[in-house]
Amino acid sequence: MDTQKPIVMTTKQVVPEGKKSFQISKEGRFIFLCLLPALLFVSVFTYYPLVRGIIMSFQNYTLFDLMNIQFIGLDNFVNVLTSPDFPRVAMNSFYWVFFSLVFQLLFGFMLALLMRKKFRGRGIYQAFVFFPWAMSGFLIGLIWRWMFNAQFGVINDLLLKTGLIDAPISFLADGAWAMAAVIIANIWYGVAFFAIMILAALQSIPEELYEAAAMDGAGRIQQFWRVTLPYIMPTMLVTILLRVIWILNFPDIIYAMTNGAPAGSTHIFATYMIDKVIFGQDYGQASAVGVIIVLILMLFTIFYVKATKVEKGGDF
Amino acid sequence: MGFRSWISVALQLTMATALLVGCSQPTATPDSASSSGTNGVTLKMVESITSPQRTALLKEMLAQFEAKNPGIKVDLISPPFEGADQKITQMLMAKEELDVLEVREFNAKQFSMNGFIENLKPYTDKWQNYDQLTDVAKRRATWVDKTPYYIPNGLYQRVLYYRTDWFKEAGIEVPKTWDELLVAAKKLTDPAKNRYGYSFRGGATGWDYALITMWAYNGTEVDPDSAFFMKDGRTLFSTPQSLEAMQYYKQLYKEASPKDSVSWGFQEMVQGFVAGSTAMLIQDPDVIDGAKEKMQEGTWATAPIPIGPSGVAQQVVGGPGWGMASYSKHKEEAWKLIEFLSDPEQSTHFAKKTSTIPVVKSAAEDEFYKSGYFQPFIEMSQQPTKFLDVSRPVDYKGWGAWQSTADKDIQSFLLDQLTAEDLLKKWDQYWTKEKDERK
Repeated sequence: MDTQKPIVMTTKQVVPEGKKSFQISKEGRFIFLCLLPALLFVSVFTYYPLVRGIIMSFQNYTLFDLMNIQFIGLDNFVNVLTSPDFPRVAMNSFYWVFFSLVFQLLFGFMLALLMRKKFRGRGIYQAFVFFPWAMSGFLIGLIWRWMFNAQFGVINDLLLKTGLIDAPISFLADGAWAMAAVIIANIWYGVAFFAIMILAALQSIPEELYEAAAMDGAGRIQQFWRVTLPYIMPTMLVTILLRVIWILNFPDIIYAMTNGAPAGSTHIFATYMIDKVIFGQDYGQASAVGVIIVLILMLFTIFYVKATKVEKGGDF
Repeated sequence: MGFRSWISVALQLTMATALLVGCSQPTATPDSASSSGTNGVTLKMVESITSPQRTALLKEMLAQFEAKNPGIKVDLISPPFEGADQKITQMLMAKEELDVLEVREFNAKQFSMNGFIENLKPYTDKWQNYDQLTDVAKRRATWVDKTPYYIPNGLYQRVLYYRTDWFKEAGIEVPKTWDELLVAAKKLTDPAKNRYGYSFRGGATGWDYALITMWAYNGTEVDPDSAFFMKDGRTLFSTPQSLEAMQYYKQLYKEASPKDSVSWGFQEMVQGFVAGSTAMLIQDPDVIDGAKEKMQEGTWATAPIPIGPSGVAQQVVGGPGWGMASYSKHKEEAWKLIEFLSDPEQSTHFAKKTSTIPVVKSAAEDEFYKSGYFQPFIEMSQQPTKFLDVSRPVDYKGWGAWQSTADKDIQSFLLDQLTAEDLLKKWDQYWTKEKDERK
């Protein structure tokens, strides 16, 4: 016996040979009962819609004829994947997630570093930084929609007054500009979450570590690379994973700002799915888009977890 | 696998799924109350075109109804306007407790086909005020299988809003035709002053404005009961007049509208007009209140919508109204409520307060409608051969799919990514196929 290893009684050792292993101990029953409400809740509000959605994605579920719903195999998936809109929606989804994430992380990090220091009015400053996160995404979309308006928008007004442009830019009338506009709005919205998470991680770094690093001759930059970054890395990795999932599943801003316009150039998977429901009245195809989103996220999550060992969050 | 492993798997699955499905925003759900009042019946009613003012008005009217009918209480459900129709559809699909609902002209067919709403003929046959409804209101009520499935509560008919002060300044008359409208709009356009002639609708459901233009160019050859087709059976999109209309439509956008308006929805087009950025707007009567509030008296007016080269103008007159859930347990009481809300006096009061066109004949004699901003609506309704009410083919299987791509197609066309010929060819093929599949 390896004396270095702690002695732990496993369930296998407790249960005598020959007895059925599925014997619930008192402790197990207690744990099960404690988990039951949460499991029921998640089953009703998460698993049921998910399963229902998967079933619908294989049916001709349209509002036009609810009396004639049948299984149609992979037709909905074929229709979605072969649609001329699909490549653009997929590319837009990538841009939407990638650029939103990179800039949210960058600005969130910078803000967290700034807010870590004590200064006068820090509370007010923090409130301003976190404020967007408390707002509804749809409302943010509406606000930015008006801000980007070429006729009455404050952004054009400022650019004109500062002399940076001679004529108003029709941000939402051009595909590339419109995509950039929705991403800018989303960056503004999501910076706060990164700032909150990173700030919390920063504030948990013991001061002694910096003192020790300083005694070892580490300068500010070295302290950042050797102490700060490794300490907050697990938090950042988990936050990035969460944000990727949330951003891809977040149609609110685009729906309110452009609703996919102009000419479908700002649709991402989530808004495309809404479009299929509201205008197309086709729950089957919309569910197929939903299933595709879940598959993409599952693949990404598996790859990400394997690549970053994010499950070891907390160890460093 | 041991119990602990099972627990562990269940937990991991729970966490993973919750993570993947993500957190959705909680949607506003109306309060639900018990289905039977303390003394009698509690009706559940849901509205669709929700706004705070309209909900308050309805509650006021429902209080009157309750006072008149002791023993009947009404629970009003007011989902947010965005997605209210989806909410109502879901309620019906789930057979949620519901007695009276607001039906829209575009979902009446779908609701009746799926057996969600009650055929009201047995009730209207005995209802003395049924003949009080105007012709357009009756057409709306009975447009599904010539059967009354709901009683309209107000009509949404479009007119032309225009800046009288700008017109006077430029010395031009209010346009009566689409050609005159383009000439006037171009004359009034001055980008340097941030002034444009026309409030263009390129955003959500902007296709409807393209259709209005096409109908006006095709005239009375369009089948009014299914206006994506001509009376001879061809599609609307196959005619040279439609091509002409679409070329005109692009000209109106390029030469007399803000570039931004390719993505303008209802809010922007109205804001453009009331904020002094555009000279003309074609919209429903519910814009009147907002314009009154934000614009100076005497700087704007309303006029009938322009007619096309064919001498007529068509539009789909929107007419939402009160219908009954087919599975209602209190049908008699539900009808009582519909009857009360559709009473000429109540109905006119509701229309006035919600800035819609009244559905009863007697309202035409009302001073409120005989003059001022509402006068053109009455003028148009008195010329039914010139200003025609048509129906969209919402009873076709492909309606939804077409609707979900139509805006994108129009925007592509306006942004020169698609030619008028290709756009019309695409729609022509689509609707020809739809028609063939129906045979």
